Amino acid sequence: MAESMEGVVTEQAPQLSEAEKIVADIRGNFSLLERAVTQFDSRFTLRALRSISSLRKRLTPRALVEAIVLTYNPHDATAKALIDAIGENSSVIQDVVSQADKNQAANGTAGAKQPPKEIPTEIDVYIAILIQVYLYYSEQYKAGAEFSLKLVESIRAKNRRTLDSLASRAYFYLALFFEEAQPKPPSPHSPVIKLRPVFLTALRSAVLRKDLETQAAVIVLLLRNYLSTADITQAHALLEQVNFPATAPNNQVARYLFYVGRIRAIQLNYSDAHGHLVSATRKAPSSSVAVGFYQASMKFLVVVELLMGDIPARDIFSQPKLEMALQPYFKLVQAVRAGEMQGFVKIVQQYSSEFHRDGTYTLILRLRQNVIRTGIRMLSLSYSRISLRDICIRLGLESEESAEYIVAKAIKDGVIEATIDHEKGYMQTKQAGDVYATGEPAANFHDRITACLALHDESVKAMRFPMNQHRLELKNAQEARERERELAKEIQDGDIDEDDAAEGFDGL
Amino acid sequence: MAEAELQQLIKRLHSTLKTNSSTNDSMRLLSRAKVCLLRLNALVPTPDTPETFLKLARETLELGALIQIRIGGGAAFTTYFEQLQPFYALPPQILPRENSNMSKITGLCLLVKLTGEDYSGFHTLLESLEVAAAQARERGEGGKGLEDDPYIQYAIRVEQAMMEGSYDRVWGETKSSKLPSEEFAIFSQLLQQTIRKEIGDCSEKSYQSIPISNAKNLFFLESEGEVVEYAKSRGWILNSKDGRIYFPNYEGENADDFAERDLVMASGQVIENTLGYARELETIV
Repeated sequence: MAESMEGVVTEQAPQLSEAEKIVADIRGNFSLLERAVTQFDSRFTLRALRSISSLRKRLTPRALVEAIVLTYNPHDATAKALIDAIGENSSVIQDVVSQADKNQAANGTAGAKQPPKEIPTEIDVYIAILIQVYLYYSEQYKAGAEFSLKLVESIRAKNRRTLDSLASRAYFYLALFFEEAQPKPPSPHSPVIKLRPVFLTALRSAVLRKDLETQAAVIVLLLRNYLSTADITQAHALLEQVNFPATAPNNQVARYLFYVGRIRAIQLNYSDAHGHLVSATRKAPSSSVAVGFYQASMKFLVVVELLMGDIPARDIFSQPKLEMALQPYFKLVQAVRAGEMQGFVKIVQQYSSEFHRDGTYTLILRLRQNVIRTGIRMLSLSYSRISLRDICIRLGLESEESAEYIVAKAIKDGVIEATIDHEKGYMQTKQAGDVYATGEPAANFHDRITACLALHDESVKAMRFPMNQHRLELKNAQEARERERELAKEIQDGDIDEDDAAEGFDGL
Repeated sequence: MAEAELQQLIKRLHSTLKTNSSTNDSMRLLSRAKVCLLRLNALVPTPDTPETFLKLARETLELGALIQIRIGGGAAFTTYFEQLQPFYALPPQILPRENSNMSKITGLCLLVKLTGEDYSGFHTLLESLEVAAAQARERGEGGKGLEDDPYIQYAIRVEQAMMEGSYDRVWGETKSSKLPSEEFAIFSQLLQQTIRKEIGDCSEKSYQSIPISNAKNLFFLESEGEVVEYAKSRGWILNSKDGRIYFPNYEGENADDFAERDLVMASGQVIENTLGYARELETIV
C-alpha cells in the first residue's frame, strides 16, 4: 500500500515542468512573507529575498504572470498593474488566465469557492522586485527605471516596517537601472544625478521612521552615486551628516566601509582609509559570487598601503581569488619596493587603462614620491655614507641640488635617520638603534591586543538569542521549584504516613 | 536693457584688467555686473537660460575670479570658482567651450589650494578633473586631455615637486619664463615663501651647521645679508667667527637624552595599556 502511494507521488513529480516549479518556488516564498508579517520577524523576509539569486536565472515573464494570476483575484488592480509592468503580450496573459481557470475547475469546487484572502503588501512588493530583476537581466533598463521609481514611491507611502528589507532591495535595483542609462556615470550629464533627490528624500523618511535597513542601503547607494561622478566633496558632506546604522546587514557595512575608504584615500587621509579598507576586505562575503567586491577593495587596500609607505604582504597576491586580478598591482608593488623610478613609470604607463578602470590611477600617480623615498631608504640601509651625486644617479634625479633637498625632506619626515654634510656633499647614516630598545614592539603588541578585544566585543554583539527563551527557562525553574515543593510536601506527608501507618499498626 | 548694460560693464572690466587700474573701481563694476546677471536671471544656469546669457554670465564670473586673484583674495576667488562650476558642467552643445577660461581658472584654483596647504582639497579637485578627462577621452571628443593642459599641468608639476622635496624644481617653476600666464605670478611669491619655510624645517633636522655663503643658495636668497636676517627670524645661531649657521634644534648629538625622555613617556603608556587589558579581561572572564 505504502509503495503504491509512493508510486503516485513519483508519477506526479515529473509532471511538474520547469515552469511550474518556478511558479511553485515563487509562491513558496509568499508563505514566508506572510509569516514575516504575522510574526513580525524580518528573518523570513530575508530568506525570501535570498532565494532571488537562485530564481534569477530561471525567471520567465510567463512564470511571473502565472504566479500573479494564481495569487490574486481576477480583477485586482495591483495584479493588473504588476502584469502590465512585465510587458508580456496579451495573448499569453489570456492563455495563462484560462489555464489557471481550467486548473481551478479541475481541482474541484473547493478551490474556487475559497474566500479570497487579504494579500499583504509585502507580497506585492516581492513580486515587484522579481519584476525588477527580470527587467534588469533582460536589459529593459528604461522600462525598469520607470517601474522602479513608481515602486519605491509606493513603498515610501505605505510606511510599514515589515517592508524595510524589501525596500532596501528595491532601491538597489533602482540604482542599477539608472547606472545603465546613457550617458553612463562618469559623465556629468548622466541620469544618475537625477536619482540623488530621490535617494535623499528616501534617506530622510528612513531616518524619521527609524528604518535602519533602508537607511543603510540608501547611504551606500548615495556614496556610490557620488563617487561614480567623482563628486568627492558632496560625498564627504554626506558622511559628515549621517550616522551609518550599526546594526545594518553585513553586506551593506562592507560596501559602506569600502566607499568611505575610497573617499578618505582621495582626501589623503591614508590611515583612516586603511582602517576602513581593511575592515571592508574582512567583511567581504566569502562566496564566489561576490569575489569582485573583494578584489576591488583589495586593490585599493594595496595602493593605500603603498601610499602609507608600507609594502603589502606577499601572500595577498598568491591568493587564488586575487592572483589574476591583482597582477598589475603586484608589478607596481615590486617597482615601489625596489625604489626604481624608471620601472615605476613604465608599469604605470603599461597598465594605465587598468588603473583608470579601477579608479586608482590618481592615487597611483601620488606614489611617485614614495618610490623616491623607498629608494633613499634602501640607500641609507646599504651605505653608511654615500655622496649626493651617487644618490642622484641611483635614483635618476635631475640634479644634485634636488637630491640634497629630497634627502633633507626624508630626514625631516623621519623616513631615514641621517645627516647631510653640505660642504663635502654626502649623506651620513646614523647607526641604527636596537628596535627592541624602543617602544615599537610594545606599540605593535598593543595594536594586536586592541584588535583581539575589538573582535571579542564584536562577537559578543553578534550573538543572537531566540525571543522569550529566558521566559521558558524561568518557567522551567518555576516548575522545578514546584516539583521540589511537592517533593518536600510528600516527604512531610510521608512522615505523617509513617505515623499513620504506625498508628494503623497500633490500631491493628 | 540689462543685457546691453552688462555687455558694457564687461567691456569696462576687461579694460580695468588690462590696465591694472584701482581695485575699488573693478569691485564696483563687478557688483553692478552681478546685479545685471540677477536681473537676467542668469547667475545660476537653468535649462531655459538662453545661450547668450550663459556666455555673458560665464564671462562676468571669470572676470570676477581673475580680478580677485589679482588682488589676492583667495577666499573670494574660490566663491567665484564654485559659482562657475555649473557653467562648466553644461554640455558643449548648450554652452560651447570657446572663449572660456576654464582651464586657466581651474589651474589657478589648484594653486590657491596648494599655497593654502589644502592638499586634500587639491587632490579632490584633481580627481574630478581626471575623471572628466578620462570620460572625454573615451568619447573621443575631448581633444585636450589633462596632459596637454598647460595651466593644470603647471599646478600638478608644482605639487609633485613639493611633495617629493625637489624644492629647486619648485623654485624653477616660479620663474616668470615658466609661468603659463601672468596671473600665476601672484603665486610665485607665496610659493617661494612656502618652500623657504619647508627648507628651513628640513635643514634644522638634517644639518648641524652650514656656511652662510652656502645658505644663500640653499634658501634661494639674494644676498648674505638676507641670510643673516632670515636666520635671525628663525632663531638660528650665527657664529661670526667661522661664518656658519648653527641649528639649535639639531638632535644629532644628544640623541641619548632623547631616548631617555622617550622611556619616561613610554612607561606611562605601558602602565595605562596594562591597566586597560586588566579591565577588559575582567569583563571577559
